[in-house]
Amino acid sequence: MTTTAPRPTGAAGKQSLRTEILEARPVNLDGFVEEWPEKGLVAMESEFDPAPSVRVEGGRIVELDGRSRDAFDFMDTFIANHAIDVASAEASMAIPSAQIARMLIDPGVSRDEVLAVTRGLTPAKVLDVVKLMNVVEIMQGMQKMRARRTPANQGHSTSARDNPIQVAADAAEGALRGFAELETTLGVLRYAPLVAIALQVGAQVGRGGVLTQCALEEATELELGMRGITAYAETISIYGTESVFVDGDDTPWSKSFLAAAYASRGIKMRFTSGTGSEVQMGNAEGKSMLYLEIRCILMAKGAGVQGLQNGSISCIGVPGAVPGGLRAVAAENLVASMVDLECASGNDQSFSHSAMRRTARAMPQMLPGTDFVCSGYSSVPNADNMFAGSNFDTEDFDDWNTIQRDFQVDGGLRHVRENEILAARNKAARALQAVFAHLDLPPITDDEIEAATYANSSNDYPLRDVLADLKGAQSVMDREITGLDLVKGLESAGFHDVAENLLTVLRQRVSGDLLQTSAVLTADFTPLSAINDPNDYAGPGTGYRLQGERWEQLKKLRHVTSSTNPETEVG
Amino acid sequence: MTTPTTTAPERTVSLREVGPARRGTRPDEVVIALSPAFAGHFTRTIVDVPHAEVLRQLMAGVEEQGVTARLVRVLDTADLAAISHTAARLSGSGISVGVLSRGTTMIHQKDLPRLSNLELFPQSPLLDAPVFRMIGSNAAQYAKGESPQPVPTRNDQMARPRWQAKAALLHLKEFDCIEAGRGPVEVEAVFGPGTTG
Amino acid sequence: MDAREGGPPEGLLVVGVDIGNSTTEACLAVVAPDGSITYLGTDLTRTTGVKGTPDNTEGALKAIRGALARAGRSAGQVETVLLNEATPVISGLAMETITETIITESTMIGHNPTTPGGEGLGVGTTRSIGELGEQQPGEPVVCVVPHGWDFDDVAATLNAAVAAGVDVVAAILAGDDAVLVTNRLARPIPVVDEVSAVEKVPLGMLAAVEVAAPGRTIRTLSNSYGLATVFGLDPVQTRQVSPVARALTGNRSAVVVRTPTGDVTDRRIPVGELVLHGAGKTLRVDVDAGAEAIMEVVGRAQPLDDARGEPGTHVGGMLAQVRDTMADVMDIAGQPDVPVSEIAIRDVLAVDTFVPAEVRGGLAGEVALENAVALAAMVRTSRSRMQLVADLVSEGLGAAAEIGGVEGEMAVGGALTTPGVDRPIAVLDLGGGSTDAALLTREGECTAVHVAGAGELVTKLIDSELALGDREVAEGVKWYPLGKVESFFHLRHEDGTVEFVDQPLPPHVFARVVVLTPDGPSPVPTRHGLDHVRRVRREAKRRVFVVNALRALRQVAPGGNLRALEFVVLLGGSALDFEIPDMIADALAPHGIVCGTGNVLGTEGPRNAVASGLVRAHAALLAAEVQ
Repeated sequence: MTTTAPRPTGAAGKQSLRTEILEARPVNLDGFVEEWPEKGLVAMESEFDPAPSVRVEGGRIVELDGRSRDAFDFMDTFIANHAIDVASAEASMAIPSAQIARMLIDPGVSRDEVLAVTRGLTPAKVLDVVKLMNVVEIMQGMQKMRARRTPANQGHSTSARDNPIQVAADAAEGALRGFAELETTLGVLRYAPLVAIALQVGAQVGRGGVLTQCALEEATELELGMRGITAYAETISIYGTESVFVDGDDTPWSKSFLAAAYASRGIKMRFTSGTGSEVQMGNAEGKSMLYLEIRCILMAKGAGVQGLQNGSISCIGVPGAVPGGLRAVAAENLVASMVDLECASGNDQSFSHSAMRRTARAMPQMLPGTDFVCSGYSSVPNADNMFAGSNFDTEDFDDWNTIQRDFQVDGGLRHVRENEILAARNKAARALQAVFAHLDLPPITDDEIEAATYANSSNDYPLRDVLADLKGAQSVMDREITGLDLVKGLESAGFHDVAENLLTVLRQRVSGDLLQTSAVLTADFTPLSAINDPNDYAGPGTGYRLQGERWEQLKKLRHVTSSTNPETEVG
Repeated sequence: MTTPTTTAPERTVSLREVGPARRGTRPDEVVIALSPAFAGHFTRTIVDVPHAEVLRQLMAGVEEQGVTARLVRVLDTADLAAISHTAARLSGSGISVGVLSRGTTMIHQKDLPRLSNLELFPQSPLLDAPVFRMIGSNAAQYAKGESPQPVPTRNDQMARPRWQAKAALLHLKEFDCIEAGRGPVEVEAVFGPGTTG
Repeated sequence: MDAREGGPPEGLLVVGVDIGNSTTEACLAVVAPDGSITYLGTDLTRTTGVKGTPDNTEGALKAIRGALARAGRSAGQVETVLLNEATPVISGLAMETITETIITESTMIGHNPTTPGGEGLGVGTTRSIGELGEQQPGEPVVCVVPHGWDFDDVAATLNAAVAAGVDVVAAILAGDDAVLVTNRLARPIPVVDEVSAVEKVPLGMLAAVEVAAPGRTIRTLSNSYGLATVFGLDPVQTRQVSPVARALTGNRSAVVVRTPTGDVTDRRIPVGELVLHGAGKTLRVDVDAGAEAIMEVVGRAQPLDDARGEPGTHVGGMLAQVRDTMADVMDIAGQPDVPVSEIAIRDVLAVDTFVPAEVRGGLAGEVALENAVALAAMVRTSRSRMQLVADLVSEGLGAAAEIGGVEGEMAVGGALTTPGVDRPIAVLDLGGGSTDAALLTREGECTAVHVAGAGELVTKLIDSELALGDREVAEGVKWYPLGKVESFFHLRHEDGTVEFVDQPLPPHVFARVVVLTPDGPSPVPTRHGLDHVRRVRREAKRRVFVVNALRALRQVAPGGNLRALEFVVLLGGSALDFEIPDMIADALAPHGIVCGTGNVLGTEGPRNAVASGLVRAHAALLAAEVQ
C-alpha cells in the first residue's frame, strides 16, 4: 500500500502523529508552572532572597541576613539564639561561598572540617553555597556529609481498611526486605492502638531491631511512644515562615517542647519539613522555597533534635512543577546533612505519572546514599497507602533491587525469596493473633492468617468486625497497655524470639542510644549511629562501599541465569 | 429520549456591585461568598468549570430547596475559612457557602470557630457542576434546620502531581487581588449569553 | 449482709464466680463458722469463650484475681472458688422479609421527592420534551424530561410550547429541578422530579400528575374513586387499580400512568414453615403468617422440645447454625460426640417488624417498608463441662474449686441481698441473648426458665426499622436518650426540655437527631424526626423485653398466675437500660407486683447476683454442717 486515506484537516492544519504520541505520555499529565519569584514560587534562584550577613555583638547575633534583631521574626530569633554558633559565625561567614562549596565536594576535606564551618553559617549563606553546586556536586557533597556511614531505608506499612493483620504481615515483609524503620498511619484514628501494635509485632517478626512509628495527631502519637507501643516519631512539622507556622497553631518553642518530651523518655524522634509548604499555604513572604527550607533546617538544628525528614515531602508537587525544583530538593537533603542532622530524604510521596521521573527524582539520594534514602517507600500497594500514595510501592521492589545491582549501590533493600517472605508474613499474623488473644482483643482467625500469608492488598483479606476492633482499641488505651504487655503476650504464646526482639528494642530507651544522630539498630541489636558508624568518606576507596557479603546479597534478583549451568537460574 | 441542543455560546457571569453587604434578617437565606478574584480576574476553576456554571449550580441547589441565595464578594482575604465565616455572620440563617476562584468550597455556620466548618471540599480538581449543585442544596437544607447527608467527597491520589503547583499558583494570584481594608460587598450575578439565570 | 466490726473477719475466704454469656463476675467474701458473711468486694470482666466451656477459665481467673487485688488479698488465702453451673446457651437471630412490593409496567411513581414543584392535578398524554415542537395544540400533554436537560432550557422550552398553544398540564423530570423549573414557568403546573429511571416512563399513554401544597398530601391519586374519575374506569378496573391508590396514600406528590396491564402488587413471599415439637405434638406454621400466628402455635407446643426451619431460608439457616454451634462447643476431643437428641431449640420468639426494601419495578428508587418477621431462638444442652472449668480454675489459682449450684437458684439468692425484698421472689435476668426467670417460693423451692429474645434482638429491630445499617449506631439508639441539636448552643431533649451549652457543639451534629452518650452527642444517620426514632426504640424494647418478661414469669409463676408473685427483681445488663425496667414494672403493676431493678449487696445494682448467691449458698451449707 502506498497511499493513506486523506486526513481531515483540523483548524490548525495537519496534526503530527508524533505529537499525538507525546501528548499521550504520562509525563504530560504532570503539572508544570512558570516561576513567580515575587511570591516565592521559585525553587532556589531568586533575587528576592536576602543577601547573607551576620553581625555579632556582645556574644549575640544582632543582625542576620540583612535583618537587625529588632526586626527579627520568631524564626530569625530562634535561629540566631540557638542554631548558629556565635563564636565562629563571623569568621565562617567571611569565607567565600565558593570555597565552602569546594570544601563540600573536596575529598581531601573531612566531614568534621566542613561541620566546623557550617555551624557558623546563616540561612542565606548556606543557600549561597549550595546555589553554586549543580546536582552532581550536590550528590558528591551528600556522599561525604551524611551523618551515618551506612545508608538505610524507611518503609510505609498501612492498610486502606486499617486492617491490623495486613499491617503486621506487610511490616514483616518490609523488615525482611531491609527497611530499618517502618511507618504507619490510619484512615480511622480510633484504630491507631491496634495498628501501631500490629506494626511493632510484624516488624519484630521480620527483623528484630526495626524501629516503628505511627503518624498521628501529636498528643496521641506521643502517648503511644511513651507506652512503648511505637519506637520513634517523625511527623512533627516545622515551617519556614512565622505566618505559616502560626497558622498551624505552633511556634519553634512549642515544637522544641514536644521534641523534649520524646527525649525525656529516650524515644527517637526527628522533625519534618520540606520545600514548597510555605508557598502552598500562600505565605512564602517572597522568599524562595529552598531559602525557607534552610530556615527550617537550622531551626531543627537549634531545637536540638537529632534529625530531619525533608525533601519536600507532601508538597513535592510544588518544587516538582518549577524549573530546577528537584535540584533544590536534592540540595535541601544536603543542607540537612551538612549541618550534622540525620536526613530521612523524601521519595515518599506520589509525585509524577511518569515512571522515568519517579526514578530520576530518587537518584540524588540513592546514588550517594543518605541516612534513609526514602522516608517512606510504600511497603504496601499504593492503593493501600494511607499517606496519599508514595513515590515507590511494592510493585517497584524488583526494579529497585535491580538498580542497586546495576550501579553497585546500597539502597537499603534486598531481594528475598518468596518462601522466606511467606514464612515471615505467616509468622507475623500468628504472632499478632497470639497478642490479640492475650490482650483480650477481637480474635484473629486462621482464615485471616492464611489470607495474610498470600495477600497483596487489603482486598485479599476477610473483612473484620470494625466495631469490635474499635472497642478493643479503646480498651487498649483505657487499660494502659504498654509494649511490655506485648512482650508478655508474645512470650506466653511461644514467640520467644519475637518477644526478646521487642524487649531489646524497648530497653534501648533506657540507654538512650537511639537519641544519637542517625541511630538505627542492626539485626543483632547493636545501635548504629553517627557516633559509632561515622561517615569517614575521604575519596575513592573510602567511606561506605558496597562490597563483600552485602554486595553478594544485593547481586541476587528474582531471575538470574546461572553461569555454571545456563539452563538454570541461580536459586 | 433526546438530549438537548444547548445554546452554543457558554454562559458567562459578571458580578455587579450593589453596595456594602449587610446582615440579613430573613432566616430562609444562604449567603454565597466569593473570593476577591472570582468571576473577575479569573473566570473558571482549576479544572476549567466556568464560574458562571459554579454560581448557577450553587444558586440552583439553594433555589430548589425553596431558599434564597444572596451573593457577597469578600475582598480583604483569600482564606476560604475567613471568607466563609464572614459570610455566615452576614447570613440571616447563619449558613454560608464560600468559594475560591480555583473552586475550593466550604459550607460554614456563624457559631462555629473560624477554622471549623459544616462541610469542606478541599480538592478543587474534583469539584464539578453536579457537586456544586449538591453543595447549594445542602447549604439550603442546613438553613432550614434539616440535616442533609453530607455531599460525598471523592479522593484522587494523583491529584497532587497534577494540580498541586497550579493550585499554589492560582492561590498566589488570588492573594494579589486582595484589597486590604475593604469590607464585603453585596453583588448581583449578571449572566451572559444563553438563557438568563 | 452481716459484717464484723473491728479487726479482720475470721473465717474462710471464698469467692463466688458467675460465668455469664457476656460477663464473668466474681464476689469475694469471708464466711464465718456460724454462716455469717462479710463481703470484701467484687470484680467483673468479659467472658472468654462460650459460656460453659473450658475457654472460660481465663476470664474466671482474671475476675478472681481482680477481686482479690481490690480487697488486698492473695490467691493463696482462698479456701474455695464457687462456680455456677453454667450450661451453655447459644442464641441466634434471623430476619425474614415476608412481603414484597412490585410495580409492573411502570404504572406508578411514588417516591415522594422532597422538593416537587407547582400544585394541583394535571392529566394528559406523556410526551418527551424533545418532541414538544411537533406536538399539535389541543391535546393535554404531560411532559417527560430526561437526564442532561438544564433547568433553564426546560423552562424555556415549556414556555415556548405553551406560547405556541400546546396544553402542557404537568411535567416529570429526571433531575432534582422541579422548583427551579416551576419558578420560571409563565403558567404554573404540577411537576414531579428526581425520577432516576425516567427512560422507563411509557410515552404516548394517559398519565396523571398530582402535587399537594407543602405539608399536605395528595387527594385524588391516593383515592381509588379519584383514579376512576381521572381515567374513566369501570368498577372492575377500579378494584384492580386500588393497590395503586393505597400505595400512594400519604404522599405529597405522585404520578400514575394508565398502562394496559400495569399494576402494583403487594406480594407475600413464602419463606417456608417452622416445625415445632412439644407437648407431645408436632405443629407447623408458615413464617410469613406473621409473629402473632407463630407465637400462638409456639404457645400450643409448650414446653418446647425442638424447632426446625426450612432449609434455604434465613430462619432455617439460623436454627441449623445455632444447633451446629452448640455441637461444636460441646464436642471434646477424645470423647464421644454429643448426640443430636441432646441439642434442642428450647424457645423461639417471633416479632413483627419492618425492613425498608427497594420496590421492584420502581422508576425512582422507591423504597417501601416491607413486613418482616424477626425470630430469636435459643438452644441449650443438659450436658455441662463446668467440672472441667472448675479443675482448670483450681489449677490456675492454686485453690479448691467446686460447682456451687444451679444458676436460677443462685440468681435468686443474690437478688435477695437487695434491700427491701423477701420471699417469694422472682428474678428476671435481662441479658443479651436470652431472658431468664427464676422463682423462689416461700418454702424455698426454686424453678427457672430461659426464653429467647433479649438485648441483641432489640438492637436488630432498631437497626432494621430505622434502616441504619450499622449495629454500633443501633446500640447507641438503644442505650441512650435522644436529642435534637437545634443550634450550636442548644439541643432539645426527647422530653421536650431544652439544654444550653457553653462550648459550641461540634459541626457534625448540627441539626441532627443525636444520641446523648457519655462522651457527648453522637449523630443518628436518619431522615426521621426524633419522635419517630424514639417510638421505634421504645416499641422494640416493649416487643422484646415486656413480652418476654410476661412470658417467662408466667412459666415460673405458680399455676401460671402472675398475681401469685409478690416481688420481682430485675437483673442483668439490660436492667441497666434507662427505660426497660420502668416499662416492665408498668406492665407488671396491674398484677399487683412490686418490680424494680435489683441492688445486689446494696451496692452492686443489678450485677453480681449469681456470684453473691453462690457465696450465700455456700455459707448456708457450712452453717448447716456446723449445727
